[in-house]
Amino acid sequence: MKIDVKNLMKRIPGTGDFISVDPEKCIGCGRCTVVCVMNLWLLRDGVAQLVEDYQEKCLECAACYSVCEPDAIQFRYPKGGTGIIYEQG
Amino acid sequence: MKTWDIIIVGGGPGGSMAAKVAAEKGLKTVFFERGRKSGEKNSSGCGLGPRLWRDFPEMMKRLTPEVAPSMRPGIMARNYFINKDDEVVGMVMARPTESVQYEPAKSWITMNCYRSDFDPWMASLAIEAGAEQITSTLIIDLIKDDRGKVIGVQDENGQKYGASIVIGADGALSMVAQKSGLRHKWQLSQITLVPQYDFYVPRENIDKIMGDETLAVWWGSTFPAAYQVFFAEGMHLGLGNWLNWWDKNPLYYLNRVVNLPYFQRLMKLLEAKPRELQSHLLPWMAYPENTYTDNVMLIGDAGGFPCPLEAEGIYPAIVTGKIAAEVAAQAISDGDTSKGALKAYEEGWKKSSVGIEFEAGPELQHIWSRLPFEPKTMEWFVPMMMELLGGIYDWSEPHAVRVRNILEAVRGYLPKAIPFIMQEVIPLLSKVLKEDFENLTKLSEFIPKLLPKKK
Repeated sequence: MKIDVKNLMKRIPGTGDFISVDPEKCIGCGRCTVVCVMNLWLLRDGVAQLVEDYQEKCLECAACYSVCEPDAIQFRYPKGGTGIIYEQG
Repeated sequence: MKTWDIIIVGGGPGGSMAAKVAAEKGLKTVFFERGRKSGEKNSSGCGLGPRLWRDFPEMMKRLTPEVAPSMRPGIMARNYFINKDDEVVGMVMARPTESVQYEPAKSWITMNCYRSDFDPWMASLAIEAGAEQITSTLIIDLIKDDRGKVIGVQDENGQKYGASIVIGADGALSMVAQKSGLRHKWQLSQITLVPQYDFYVPRENIDKIMGDETLAVWWGSTFPAAYQVFFAEGMHLGLGNWLNWWDKNPLYYLNRVVNLPYFQRLMKLLEAKPRELQSHLLPWMAYPENTYTDNVMLIGDAGGFPCPLEAEGIYPAIVTGKIAAEVAAQAISDGDTSKGALKAYEEGWKKSSVGIEFEAGPELQHIWSRLPFEPKTMEWFVPMMMELLGGIYDWSEPHAVRVRNILEAVRGYLPKAIPFIMQEVIPLLSKVLKEDFENLTKLSEFIPKLLPKKK
């Protein structure tokens, strides 16, 4: 059985940008690409890069930020009252 | 700048408890929530333990299905054991044993309740006690005076809020911990990532099929141990592991549980339908450290308090929230909110049942990481255990022959089992029983103590 996760999320738009990466600090270890449940990270030329529409997909777990030992990833929760909503959390 | 006596960053169970107690102590209290209401940003297992009812009876008796429709208690817990071929090879079902001492622990193992019900209810208690809640507001920084002393917080719009004490109840990714210098980041071995599905299940199917069961643990050999929790009209399935463990997308492992033939059959029977995908970080550590500094205390997940064995987080959050608020009230009344005065917080949680839970914290956390969360260990542990549990129920040979076969099979596992017992089990037993079993002479002396005394 394949669960289609696209239909299993609700969110309030208007988050603004809340994740960024400093390419100078990124060592290309790829850990962010592994832990992101939503596959929002990819390595391009050995540097972590976020997909463009991450604001519409991110579950705000902050695993990417927490797993990044060189502190290349900055994460801040989205603007208050926006972003992912858990109705059965 | 508008000022309060105390600011609590975070409107989860711990933050609401801290706000409730602070308000009851007469402090001018405000607590912040980044969601539009408490609970809408949170996911967890989510079973509430009976200790909440024992320790906070007046409060907990007000939690009813009228305020929390997802509530569902259960007295039975299932444990499925799954081999490396993803077959369920055994199952143990248990209810509270005869040594369980008090109600409601004798009547149910967990009271399951969605965070979307529980957290707003907790917040309403704090508001009723006189605390002010500010929602849809993300606090992004601490405000400090010229000498670096914390004097308040600032939200994302630059609005400032003043107070002499700030409690960080802001979860695993605590801004308060970071900005106060108490912690930069968790080590990867201190924090777990927990993806989880919620399924819709018709209410009558849960009652008819699961009966009085409250949860199940799926002890796998191809995925870290997964939990399944039953609510009035739904169920959670989740699993987790430390951030330094994952080698693939965490959903790969969660979907592996979903796709067990046994789980698929159960889903069909229950008519379960995937409803929500959730993911959260959960501190799971050997021992909480750096939980306070000048004018700041960290509670719940922000302080690293989830139980080191099973990572139950709500109870420790509520207990530490209460202790922090009591210490804050005393400190404010004494006019001293320095680190020296707030040391009473650390002393308080260490003495509480949360502190006792951490007495064997490093050993508990370690054995969990090496056994249920390590498929490589479970790969031999599950068949070994099932030889012992299930091997005798077998008509393939005369029973005496079966017993010899089983012992022979178990002997084959000993080269793996003995080092595991020596490295993981013995240190844990030594700590819990306060005996030095790592000294083998001591261990051999202890065993006769278990035998009946000669008359």
